[in-house]
Amino acid sequence: MTLADLFRQLSILVGLPAVLIAAAAAAIIVIMRDWRIVIFAYAVFSVMLALLLSQVIPTEWALLQAIVGGLIAVMFFLSARQLRWHPASGVSWEARWPQIVSLTSFRALTVALTAVTFLVSRESIELPVVDLLFRDMIFWLALVGLLGLALHEEPLHAGLSLLIVLGGFQLLLFALVQQRMMIGLLASEQLLLGLAISYLMVSRGLDASRPAADAAPMRDAHDLRP
Amino acid sequence: MIYGPELLLGLLIAAAAGLYFLRRMEGVAALAAAGAATGLALLLWLLPHDAPVELFGRRVWLGQPISWDAGRITLQIGPATNTLLIFLLVVAAASFILAWLTYQGRSFYPFGLLLLAVWATVAMLQPLTLAPFAIVLASIISVFLIQAGKTGETRGAWRQLLFPTLAAPLFLVATWYIEQAPLNPDDQTPFVIAGWLLIAGFVLLLQPAPFHVATPAVAGQAPPVVAVFLWIGSQTTILFLLQRFLVVYPWLTSAIDSARWLLWLGVFTAGLGGALTATQQSLGRFLGYAGLYDYGVLLVAMALRGTAGLPTAIWLVLTRTFALLTLASGAALIRHHMESDRLERIAGALSRMPLAVIALITGGLALAGLPLTAQFASRWALFQLLAENDPRWVLFLMLGAAGVILGTVRAGYACFGRLTHSPVEREPLLASLLIFALVALGVILGLYPQLLTAPVAGAILPLSTLGP
Repeated sequence: MTLADLFRQLSILVGLPAVLIAAAAAAIIVIMRDWRIVIFAYAVFSVMLALLLSQVIPTEWALLQAIVGGLIAVMFFLSARQLRWHPASGVSWEARWPQIVSLTSFRALTVALTAVTFLVSRESIELPVVDLLFRDMIFWLALVGLLGLALHEEPLHAGLSLLIVLGGFQLLLFALVQQRMMIGLLASEQLLLGLAISYLMVSRGLDASRPAADAAPMRDAHDLRP
Repeated sequence: MIYGPELLLGLLIAAAAGLYFLRRMEGVAALAAAGAATGLALLLWLLPHDAPVELFGRRVWLGQPISWDAGRITLQIGPATNTLLIFLLVVAAASFILAWLTYQGRSFYPFGLLLLAVWATVAMLQPLTLAPFAIVLASIISVFLIQAGKTGETRGAWRQLLFPTLAAPLFLVATWYIEQAPLNPDDQTPFVIAGWLLIAGFVLLLQPAPFHVATPAVAGQAPPVVAVFLWIGSQTTILFLLQRFLVVYPWLTSAIDSARWLLWLGVFTAGLGGALTATQQSLGRFLGYAGLYDYGVLLVAMALRGTAGLPTAIWLVLTRTFALLTLASGAALIRHHMESDRLERIAGALSRMPLAVIALITGGLALAGLPLTAQFASRWALFQLLAENDPRWVLFLMLGAAGVILGTVRAGYACFGRLTHSPVEREPLLASLLIFALVALGVILGLYPQLLTAPVAGAILPLSTLGP
């Protein structure tokens, strides 16, 4: 089976179904706390984004987005596995990583309010070249991504929110410009961002995944010699 | 034939890779990094740009560009870029030595050289709209420098990463609008939209208040000399990029009143930075907000980029480097020896580290722009220039300076009194000598500001005639 055949078989998803699935995945990333669900939602989001991108750029180039998204999901999974909760760790279930300052119900409410804002104001948004479905998708991803950046300080969630915003920008940019160099540049940027976010996840999560008594005392930066 | 960008980037990346393996021998790594930076600065200064020369049996042509993608992407060391690169390399060499003597962490040397390579790429890259991607790369490298192996708090590193990443796509969309404009010459809309996108992108890159949140967070988290190196390097490089944009796209000034935006943001940043400097409880955040005030003043100077505004901005860039490095060195030594940077825990620092405390106070007062400091003459020139436009702006900046003075007095006063915990080591001799030299140099520049006339004059002409 060739790549074109694979995309032809998935073509039933291209269009409204892919937009709905990607939009739901972005909302799940912002709302849910559990790292498994969040990383899985990002992987699904990347595949849907690749399907949508295949409408504006060649299939081979669009596939790169799915590969990059998959690699980032693997990086995040490997980092998160080091921080996951287990009974022997001495950390209570409530205090497990990732620690998020808001309640899930609150985040669900903010996403619902964002959806209302989206429905009210989407008609007033004008984007060049892109069709209405893409316009709605780009607007929704920008709104939900920025909401995620505002709500989360935890690198896993905040990092994925940033990648959602970048996903929206990609849809707009590749509808405007179809250049191989640009696709490579954005893919490399996302991979490097994924690496930095994984590092921050582990840096922050290591403290949360250990009981307070075992955690290292607070030290000044200059004492640390990486 | 080796071209200038190949030589510069190749040597910086090779030195960074080599030093990564040598980083556990900190003294060797610091001296080697400083030596590499100084050597490259000398090469850029001495070698001619308009003709090839023989260097160690190879022909080198510094001014020759290298290009990819059928000539659409090029890297070239022009006269203005050369000036910026020499400045960055000299600052890096000084920072590496200071970092070694004030215990700033081993990873600084290889990552610092790598950052220099990325900043150099920003300065040399054409088309300009791709340069923000290199700034994102610099932010990604900064994450590892700021975090420096620490666990727990990640706010500073995350915020350093966030805004440039959001800014980069705006430049790409702006490029599309710029390309559309010639298709319908009578319609100015593409220029206006591109102008707004570029302004928004620059606001996110420059991070003035209220987007300043990374500055205090980095100051609180990163080692002080490292934080100051990041600010000097990234802020100067981004302002250089802004200057290139304004020269290459002259319609940007008319489509959007960019100077007015910059003036407002600069005054707001300086005012907020000054006010918050007065209230800080730790040396790190005091350094952060004092640096923010100074940055706001620099933005104001950039907003007045005319016949006198640009020289003043260059002058400020030079003098703020002395002030920031002096303050950071003092703060770093106190923080290391007192095992804290909270003001209530550094009592008695003066008795064990008199020169570090003097550096802290002198650096703080220099950032406020008081007489007998390096910043005084440049600030005075700026205030005179600004008063010609609107004296109220000067009043705002002076109120901010009052906040920095108050913060400096509080930080200095906290170092007096009796030691609350013992034993505390005395400051090392070599570090003391270097700090003394920095303080003395600051005072000399305060007394004889004309010493900087030649470097400023040397930078003005290439900067004002920047080409694409």
